Amino acid sequence: MAKLGLVVDLDTCVGCHGCATACKQWNTSGTIGPLSDSDPYGRDPSGAWLNRIRTYEVGDTPNSKTVNMPMSCMHCEDAACVTVCPTGASYKRKEDGIVLVDQDKCMGCNLCSWACPYGARELDPQQGTMKKCTLCVDRIYDERLPEEERKPACVITCPTKSRVFGDFDDPDSEVSKLVRERGGQQLMPELGYNPVNTYLPPRNKKAVEVYEVKPSLGKTVKQWVNKVIAR
Amino acid sequence: MNTLTTDLPCDLEPQDLIDTLAVELPEFEPRESQQTKYTTCYMCACRCGIKVTVEDNKVRYIQGNPNHPINKGVLCAKGNSGIMKQMSPAKLRTPLLRKPGTERGAGEFEEISWDRALDILEQRLAHIRATDPNKLAYFTGRDQMQALTGMWASQFGTLNWAAHGGFCSVNMAAGGLYTLGHAFWEFGDPDWANTKYFMLWGVAEDHSSNPIKLGLKTLKERGAKFVAVNPVRTGYQAIADEWIAIRPGTDAMLALSMVHVLLKHRLIDDEFLIRYTNAPQLVVNTPGQKGDGLFYRSPVSEGKASEIQVWDLNSETFADASRADIAPALFGEFTAPDGTPLRTSMSILVDKYLDDQYAPENAARECGVSAETIERLALEMAHVAFKESITLDVEWTDWAGRKQTQFIGRPVSMHAMRGISAHSNGFQTCRAIHLLQVLLGTIDCPGGHLAKPPFPKHIPPGIKPAKVSAPNTPLKSPPLGFPTCPEDLVIDGDGKPLRIDKAYSWDAPISAHGLMHMVISNAVNGDPYRIDTLMLFMANMAWNSSMNTAQTLEMLCAKEDDGEYKIPFIVCSDAFHSEMVAYSDLVLPDTTYLERYDTISMLDRPISEPHAACDSVRIPVIEPDRDVLSWQEVMIEMAGRLGFPAFTREDGSRKYEGYKDFIINFEKEPGIGFLAGYRGKEGDKSLRGEPNPRQWEAYEENEGFFEFHLAPNQRYLRHANRDYLELAKEAGWVGSTDQIVIELYSEKLQTFRLAGQGLYDGPMPTEAHHKARLQKYFDPLPFYYMPLEEQRIDRDEYPFHAVNQRPMFMYHSWDSQNAWLRQIMSQNYLFMNRVAAEKAGIEDLSWVWVESHNGRIRVQVKLMEGCNEQTVWTWNAIAKQKGAWGLSKDANEATDGFLMNHLISELLPRKGDELDRVTNSDPVTGQAAWYDLRVKITPAAAGETGTWPTFREVKPLPGAKASPQALSYATHRNVNLKRPMHDILTRGEK
Amino acid sequence: MHPAFSVLIFTVTSGAGYGLITLLVLAQLAGLPALQDRTLLLSGTGLALAMITVGLLSSTLHLANPKNAWRAFARFRTSWLSREAVFAVLFYPVALLYLFGIFRQGAELNGFFTVCGALAAGLAMVTLFSTSMIYASLRTIRQWCTPLTPLNYLALGLMSGALWLTALQALLQDKLSPALQGTALGLVLLGTVAKLIYLFWIGKPAGATIRTATGFTQASVRLLDAGHSAGTFLTDEFGYNVAADKLLRLRFAMLGLAFLLPFLLLWQGPALAMLLAALLCMAGLLMERWLFFAEARHVVRLYHGAPRT
Ligand SMILES: Nc1nc2c(c(=O)[nH]1)N[C@H]1C(S)=C(S)[C@@H](COP(=O)(O)OP(=O)(O)OC[C@H]3O[C@@H](n4cnc5c(=O)[nH]c(N)nc54)[C@H](O)[C@@H]3O)O[C@H]1N2
Ligand SMILES: Nc1nc2c(c(=O)[nH]1)N[C@H]1C(S)=C(S)[C@@H](COP(=O)(O)OP(=O)(O)OC[C@H]3O[C@@H](n4cnc5c(=O)[nH]c(N)nc54)[C@H](O)[C@@H]3O)O[C@H]1N2
Ligand code: SF4
Ligand code: SF4
Ligand code: SF4
Ligand code: SF4
Ligand code: SF4
Ligand SMILES: [Mo]
Repeated sequence: MAKLGLVVDLDTCVGCHGCATACKQWNTSGTIGPLSDSDPYGRDPSGAWLNRIRTYEVGDTPNSKTVNMPMSCMHCEDAACVTVCPTGASYKRKEDGIVLVDQDKCMGCNLCSWACPYGARELDPQQGTMKKCTLCVDRIYDERLPEEERKPACVITCPTKSRVFGDFDDPDSEVSKLVRERGGQQLMPELGYNPVNTYLPPRNKKAVEVYEVKPSLGKTVKQWVNKVIAR
Repeated sequence: MNTLTTDLPCDLEPQDLIDTLAVELPEFEPRESQQTKYTTCYMCACRCGIKVTVEDNKVRYIQGNPNHPINKGVLCAKGNSGIMKQMSPAKLRTPLLRKPGTERGAGEFEEISWDRALDILEQRLAHIRATDPNKLAYFTGRDQMQALTGMWASQFGTLNWAAHGGFCSVNMAAGGLYTLGHAFWEFGDPDWANTKYFMLWGVAEDHSSNPIKLGLKTLKERGAKFVAVNPVRTGYQAIADEWIAIRPGTDAMLALSMVHVLLKHRLIDDEFLIRYTNAPQLVVNTPGQKGDGLFYRSPVSEGKASEIQVWDLNSETFADASRADIAPALFGEFTAPDGTPLRTSMSILVDKYLDDQYAPENAARECGVSAETIERLALEMAHVAFKESITLDVEWTDWAGRKQTQFIGRPVSMHAMRGISAHSNGFQTCRAIHLLQVLLGTIDCPGGHLAKPPFPKHIPPGIKPAKVSAPNTPLKSPPLGFPTCPEDLVIDGDGKPLRIDKAYSWDAPISAHGLMHMVISNAVNGDPYRIDTLMLFMANMAWNSSMNTAQTLEMLCAKEDDGEYKIPFIVCSDAFHSEMVAYSDLVLPDTTYLERYDTISMLDRPISEPHAACDSVRIPVIEPDRDVLSWQEVMIEMAGRLGFPAFTREDGSRKYEGYKDFIINFEKEPGIGFLAGYRGKEGDKSLRGEPNPRQWEAYEENEGFFEFHLAPNQRYLRHANRDYLELAKEAGWVGSTDQIVIELYSEKLQTFRLAGQGLYDGPMPTEAHHKARLQKYFDPLPFYYMPLEEQRIDRDEYPFHAVNQRPMFMYHSWDSQNAWLRQIMSQNYLFMNRVAAEKAGIEDLSWVWVESHNGRIRVQVKLMEGCNEQTVWTWNAIAKQKGAWGLSKDANEATDGFLMNHLISELLPRKGDELDRVTNSDPVTGQAAWYDLRVKITPAAAGETGTWPTFREVKPLPGAKASPQALSYATHRNVNLKRPMHDILTRGEK
Repeated sequence: MHPAFSVLIFTVTSGAGYGLITLLVLAQLAGLPALQDRTLLLSGTGLALAMITVGLLSSTLHLANPKNAWRAFARFRTSWLSREAVFAVLFYPVALLYLFGIFRQGAELNGFFTVCGALAAGLAMVTLFSTSMIYASLRTIRQWCTPLTPLNYLALGLMSGALWLTALQALLQDKLSPALQGTALGLVLLGTVAKLIYLFWIGKPAGATIRTATGFTQASVRLLDAGHSAGTFLTDEFGYNVAADKLLRLRFAMLGLAFLLPFLLLWQGPALAMLLAALLCMAGLLMERWLFFAEARHVVRLYHGAPRT
């Protein structure tokens, strides 16, 4: 069976939030929708998002590196968010490993969000049901969409192509290759959730040779000789 | 859904799997009530192509158009939030007239009909036009229709028109157009596909938002090196291989120090310099005499114009610089037959930059970048340019008609924007960066810095600013253009400015985009004169686009002794309840970008790519639900009503029914109109051709854009590429097929300098400070000087530089009304380096006072690592006036967010000299010097929290509904996946 | 973790109810003389049922979509919350039968009603255990994911139940039963020890840090931007922050109210003091439960900038 998920490239993500809002706009009218907002025009606006971007600084002044880290549901293989759910609203699809919340069944107890280490579940403030990334299940299988658009909204929109969607069970898929080649890492593997989504760490600094030069050639233009070059 | 397959094969391929699974899924989308339409995004000026799915006149989903040349299917955070722009409670609903007897700024309006609004405007404008057209000041902000508004202004007859370029990035445009013929900004791009070394100077987001992101990905995938020069490490700089934490305002020093290193080792592209630049051209060397620093020209002889001379090494004689059959000397001192001492431009240049002033050790002290780093970066670039060059075997014809067999690429490229341009030394800094690029031979070559059609143009483009206006008469040329000498200034016989913004005056001679940031201040001070009507389109001049906002608000309400406002009438076209609305007398509500027809025209700043000339349109995808009219239509309507010659027939009747008709039928010159695509009766002609009555439909069919690909032989070295130049001339992009010679040494600047020295045969300034500025800043070769504000304040008292960055997910002021985007940020902080803050005793998240020479503000601090220690910064334009933009009065933007603008003066810091009333701008171009700001920071007293200053609450507009307290947007009810009971009970088991 | 008041009420009152009925049944079956009293049995069982019912009703207040609460039985096989719900429901018929038995037969219960009583006691403990396992099974919260959690829940449920039982007995029978008093004192001691061990245990530094969570283990890691400037569901639910000195003061107050004062009152022993002890203990346990939440630090806090859990 397939193991679908995302690879996120921390080497190229510029933290633009494009994927976060693409996700919000697709899913607010999608199978998990709506994604509601509270006080949208007031103080401390908030709402349900399925994908959020955080920015970290690694290292101290003056040797710091800034890293943007988008986080959405990792579609964990051992998803405790599913086992703790009392209603059966949360489930992991056997076919492809997508973890979903059935909006008709959720009672809004929050327990699954407590069980999720990655902050991937958010309670909808108006609906009272739990919202989470669907891996755009309502896009990826939709045959009415052109084949190249049968991808998650966040993947399609990412301007740095830092998000790749695919089957981690298929060793020849792009995601599997990227994970192999770039040393993909899971977040907090020690918790044993076996997250499917994988992060590609920033690459090492690119080294460039310098032009080999002899000690200074001279200080005034007077010493320079013209080359005969046709115009 | 397709038909059911019942028996599953046991060895499923992923695709099969998807097929079999799909049958279990419900139909999620109500396709029968959905339509897909193509148009152009305008959540920002990047102008990406979008594909909008509409359901019952509501937007279901906005997606990038994968075929579009700009964004190739991707969208940014803003573009993805268009739904919430369309849902904004701040949308204006109907024309508004300030209630008689109420104060400007109080926000008391009555709703009026469009008929009445247009009548009021027509009356006012007709009177001005018939008496003194300059009494109309018409300035436009973040629009993309300058071709239309500029033309409208010239037809009206006022000199006082400009778009926002003067406070935005004219340094980049002018720096490029006076050097390369193209530019950074929107006129050029790095060759993302081939570059191996990319240096990004002072860019947080740029106008080219998505293309830069796509480009960075491409080059990182290829293993190219990416160096970011920026005092702050966020966004693009986060993914740079190397971050250069430069001290703001010193980039020219860094660039010229790298030039020093290259020259010291003679690592320059001699061939490129000789063939494509004016480096070999001979300059008169007679300091203190007339003619010094101008090019040496052959004497005028019969039938032959005078020509710039070079020294030909073959014939050992002087020769016309434009001849093909010569080998010009790059260096050397010569003596003209009449005894005039001469040097090549290159000799002057080498002498200048080999000076110790530019040695890395000295530059390091100024820029805060170590000498070793400067040296290494220069040598790395030299290595890539000269040792890793690439060749494309393509036959092409050069400017002289000679066949060439290949393009040589020096794959080093650069891009620069407001970190460079928003300083008062930005023009020369931009030229310094271009100089670095040119010495390495990286201009318009494979892997280098490419031009985008209609660029390159001859240097500078051949339009001169209009000088004369007369009642009921169109201007002879556009209000804006490119001066080449003091004669082109827009001043009167006494040397006084003729334009309200003092553009093209001795204060800022090459202010090619005007000085919008000076209009309100100048008009209120009556300096140079008073106006009657200020007409603003898409510019929030009462808030984030003005320097000195608090005082600007006072100025907008300032009255004469007789009670008349100093600016008697203010008209604004806005689509939303911005801060500007309350300060207007007549408010004309615009459509949103999803509701209107629009063109992104080749006559303006089109969406071209380096290897394709492209333009695009907007086509309405949503029906407006309000009484709004697009500004395009208003312009055409007014032009008709006022009887502008270009808009009326001989008999006085109107030529154009409306905007769509105008776009189809208007021709600037035969066959050239606003849209370059699908011309000709049959729609089969590109770039030039008669009007096509079905042009809009053709664009619509082609997903809203037009793309004309250049042939492989037209793609590089276009300044000297005949195959390209012939096409460019045919398309009306250039006036001749002559070679465009890159101007490292700018004789045009020298003419102004001579005027400052009193050595010019033509207009010369009379005031000492003008003379001094011309002498100092109009150096024909780029140089570093300390930004003007720093020169006039006590640097120890104000130890920090204060700059802004564009947040990638917000566009200036207009996205705080967006319910999704403001969840990402509704408050901005003052970011500060942690180590610097610890030294100053400032704690994370504490409130502090930030003080400049112009005022003080109270803000909340956030500490960070990736910030130059002498720099503080914030995200731009997050703060809002209470009550504006449909936000509640306790919205975070109003109570905790802050504008840096209060600290920035539109005038130079006071010192009690003549410069006190001179604009805080680049002395060459008049570019607003936003980032010259220096501040001091002190902790606020205990209990002092919240932003300061705050302003009076803006009244709700008449008839405005209260903004909703909750949103659950969806175009249809969600469709759940179907699941059997068994599944519900057992999922999650191992 | 954000302490939701309804959940605090729920776990404290139903915990006491389950503890009370369990002890009551055990004592009755063990033939403790004080418990061979129809009035005491009736009022004790009634009180227990009332507390449990109030607790359960309160727990539904915390549901954002209570109309689906009935579905909570669905995932008995994996979810401790579902199990809690199932056991809680199963408890009612046997407990009510037991109550009915007492009503009809007083302390002299026939076999059937005795079995019902035993079952009720068992289910009470199982339900309480299930509740505790909801917390103890969460690997995301170090402070909860420990056998100390069920130990605490069971000990504190029994302790508060014992206090109520003792109070009832003293009030109804004028004379305090030394056996009950002894049991209660013992359970208070047990509860104290369990809580102290817990407090000591969660004080030890351990678990994930912002470095391990982000995967950048080589250098310091700091949050620059959370991606939202106001709060979110995540920061509200998991970002609950209380100043360390306030926590310490609350801990002392909690230990005094829940353990020390009841212990002293119990030691002294006039009937009204027993009631006071039970009431103080309930207040103390509300604080205890509040602290149980407030001091629990979910790993998602690391992604919001907390250096460690
Ligand atoms: N998302 C979004 N996109 C936008 C806009 C927007 O508001 N939002 N605005 C549009 C407009 S109008 C414009 S003009 C462009 C501007 O686009 P940018 O040029 O990207 O403008 P800024 O955000 O001002 O970025 C200036 C950068 O220069 C750095 N900087 C400041 N001073 C110096 C200096 O002296 N030297 C160097 N090397 N760097 C310095 C700052 O840290 C910052 O990173 O963006 C356009 N695109
Ligand atoms: N401190 C500081 N100040 C700055 C800068 C900085 O870096 N630092 N940057 C400067 C720069 S480069 C720029 S370009 C300016 C930008 O500043 P402005 O030009 O003022 O840009 P905006 O705030 O984006 O929008 C202007 C107005 O356009 C309106 N508008 C939006 N959509 C439409 C529409 O469809 N039709 C009409 N008619 N109106 C519409 C908005 O409601 C808003 O009132 O800010 C400048 N101000
Ligand atoms: S990331 Fe969280 S919500 Fe997603 S499967 Fe894992 S535990 Fe569940
Ligand atoms: S909130 Fe909904 S999905 Fe989550 S555990 Fe509770 S019932 Fe299940
Ligand atoms: S896969 Fe879909 S639901 Fe998940 S984060 Fe991306 S856009 Fe959102
Ligand atoms: S869209 Fe791409 S670049 Fe932007 S935040 Fe998301 S992953 Fe990063
Ligand atoms: S960059 Fe974003 S906002 Fe700007 S035009 Fe493109 S999608 Fe729209
Ligand atoms: Mo701008």
